[in-house]
Amino acid sequence: MAEQISPDLGFVKDVIAGGGESLKKCFQCATCSVVCNLTPDDKPFPRKEMIYAQWGLKDKLFPNPDIWLCHQCSDCTAYCPRGAKPGEVLNAVRKLSIENYSVPRFLGKAVGSPGSLVPLLAIPTVIFFIILASLGHLNLDAIRNEAGKIAYSSLLKSYYIDGVFVPIFLFAVVSLAIGVSRYWKDMIRATGIKPKGSILDAITSTIGEILAHKRFEKCNVTIDRKLAHMLVFFSFIGLAITTAWAVTYLYGYEIMHAMGKTPYPWLLGPSPYPLTDPVKWLGNISALALLIGITLVISNRKKNTEKAGKGGYYDWLFIYIVFAIMATGILAELVRLADIAILAYVIYFAHLVVVFFLFAYAPFSKMAHMVYRATAMVFAKATERDVQS
Amino acid sequence: MTAEKTKSILVVGGGISGITTAVEAAEVGYEVTLIEKNPYLGGRVTQLNKYFPKLCPPNCGLEINFRRIKNNPRVKIYTVAEIEKISGSEGDFDVTVKLNPRYVNENCTACNACVEVCPVERPNDFNFGMDKTKAIYLPQDFAFPLRYVIDDKYCKKAECAKCVDACTYKAIDLNMKAQSLPLKVGSIAWATGWNPYDASKIDNLGFGKYQNVIINMMMERLASQNGPTKGKILRPSDGKEPSRIAFVQCAGSRDENHLPYCSSVCCLASMKQATYIREQYPDAEVLIFYIDIRTPARAERVYLRAQKDEKIKFIKGKVAKIEEDPSTKDLTVTAEDALTLQKIIHEKVNLVVLATGMAPNTKEWKAPAEISYDTDGFILSNTGVAGMYAAGCSLKPIDVYSSVQTATAAALKTIQSLVRR
Repeated sequence: MAEQISPDLGFVKDVIAGGGESLKKCFQCATCSVVCNLTPDDKPFPRKEMIYAQWGLKDKLFPNPDIWLCHQCSDCTAYCPRGAKPGEVLNAVRKLSIENYSVPRFLGKAVGSPGSLVPLLAIPTVIFFIILASLGHLNLDAIRNEAGKIAYSSLLKSYYIDGVFVPIFLFAVVSLAIGVSRYWKDMIRATGIKPKGSILDAITSTIGEILAHKRFEKCNVTIDRKLAHMLVFFSFIGLAITTAWAVTYLYGYEIMHAMGKTPYPWLLGPSPYPLTDPVKWLGNISALALLIGITLVISNRKKNTEKAGKGGYYDWLFIYIVFAIMATGILAELVRLADIAILAYVIYFAHLVVVFFLFAYAPFSKMAHMVYRATAMVFAKATERDVQS
Repeated sequence: MTAEKTKSILVVGGGISGITTAVEAAEVGYEVTLIEKNPYLGGRVTQLNKYFPKLCPPNCGLEINFRRIKNNPRVKIYTVAEIEKISGSEGDFDVTVKLNPRYVNENCTACNACVEVCPVERPNDFNFGMDKTKAIYLPQDFAFPLRYVIDDKYCKKAECAKCVDACTYKAIDLNMKAQSLPLKVGSIAWATGWNPYDASKIDNLGFGKYQNVIINMMMERLASQNGPTKGKILRPSDGKEPSRIAFVQCAGSRDENHLPYCSSVCCLASMKQATYIREQYPDAEVLIFYIDIRTPARAERVYLRAQKDEKIKFIKGKVAKIEEDPSTKDLTVTAEDALTLQKIIHEKVNLVVLATGMAPNTKEWKAPAEISYDTDGFILSNTGVAGMYAAGCSLKPIDVYSSVQTATAAALKTIQSLVRR
């Protein structure tokens, strides 16, 4: 039975531009599907994705859970007889898939294009600059707290920070939720399979697998990624707990204060907090783990370039944003302790800009892989399309 | 006027191509010296069971050529010999040939008395190590010249010398030393041939690790009357008759990690070998895993014939994983069937044949001359040195029929080089 297809050449160009430049070298030998330890045996990937991508069949790729079941071990790339780098091609397809489901679409496009980097960075820079200027807080050298120390809470009171980050965070959550629900519906439409059994079981099992990093263990070429990814992943969780903890310190204190009660002594109020406090321990340990983790990510990628490919702009942007958050965060703390006011505030300002970048653009950046991949894994489990272990 | 130039030709390599070039040039009337590093002529062709497409044994073609050599006093052959040095230029090359010691002289009658007393064994490289010979041995049943040879890596020489006493023809000289032979030639044809690609470099296919994974050239030896199993195809691990055999096409070919090119003969070779199996074992099943079946022109008929055989199954998908069951030594081959979108993982077979490609000998070894090679080590048809030409599989991976054509062409070119001034 013949099937007429209409190739989307623009899509092919986008895959190539997104890091899949080796796409056209594939001659469909199917070595990749065999050496892949993450593919199911029925309709295995990534050979079929390679020909879909060559033909520009984006409608077969975007609503496909398989592009996310791939964890880019790069075993396929290492054994590919043609240097077609299926791992890199699927990575570029995933980038375009995130863009396809993103709301608003223009942001999805912007985060993936190097040309938009400056405007994307300019948005938080201008926002925070306007706030500082309107507060008259541009005389950095003079900004001190009541104890006469450098205090970032004196530069920008938490209300201003939260006034920016809470809406941004909500925006990211809503945008991601819309994107993922569109993806979910698309998967059901395209595969023609409705999830059966308990979705909750599938979610629980997926979360368990993600926490344990089980799929990374099946990679051969890039097995060293497991540790690096675990460090980054769990330090993000550590930093999220730190943030929630600090919010409790601040707002717990303020609320009790406003209610005319004496705040509990453990509610420390505005930052900075002493190095002896557990919130500081968790924050610092997480920051250090993130530093080690992201450095390992970078060095692993450099080390594996020959076998796994060099990675595209989209990946590296995310890696360097995480690196920048960690670097500015740690430096901001060290320079504050060293009491160099102007430098400390400038670094802190940069820290705010990159953190804004991470949160606001999370639905459009590589950060979104966390949610899309988890969704695809849940779908695969719920439709009984899961790799046998 | 220049001095009288020499009218002789040197041919390096005594396989089917080198023999052809030598005989053709000699029959035109030129003096030809043919150098071969093995102790016999015929090269890779002597290891084949049958040629395709006619599926006839290679011996008749070789025999005709050997007769032409014997009858032609203009052809001088040196086996166990190699080229050491070349100087000079077109029309006036000075060549030094190293004659390695054979330890057996022309008195040898091939009576086999020496082999009976020899206490040392060596792996038989002619049969890819699937059996053994004594340290003194006849290289192969069809050896030309028909003379024994001693492998000095294994022979204990004077310490043993049992063969010297056993030989009634005084044909064995354990003190034989390598000799230098100076030659003056006007033109040179390189016919240095090929080697099967080293399959142990393909780490996911288990060659060298699993006994029942063999290469296509080993299958030729298993199927040959003068092979290690006297022509009965038996699997190496236990000598059992195989009932299910997988052929892995493009094993290390069309692969930038190994040989980036197509060797052009392996598809036909596997289909030919499938007929060896089907003739011996009418119930045996053959699976041929391929990327593309390449049977150009008339060879298409071979493909059509194989497709009609219901015991031969073609599966479009490259085998990229082979695992062994350590208790039975059976093998599981894994490939994606790209036409049904199934990853076949339960194809259990008793024997796997890797269709490995042809690597030029000049990939590892370079001629002592400033000739040019392509990136894969094949000699360029324009060698870059006036008076030097190439023939056969030193040029490109080709079948016997095409090799002979390039060899005749090389004969013409070497002759032109001598006479055109």
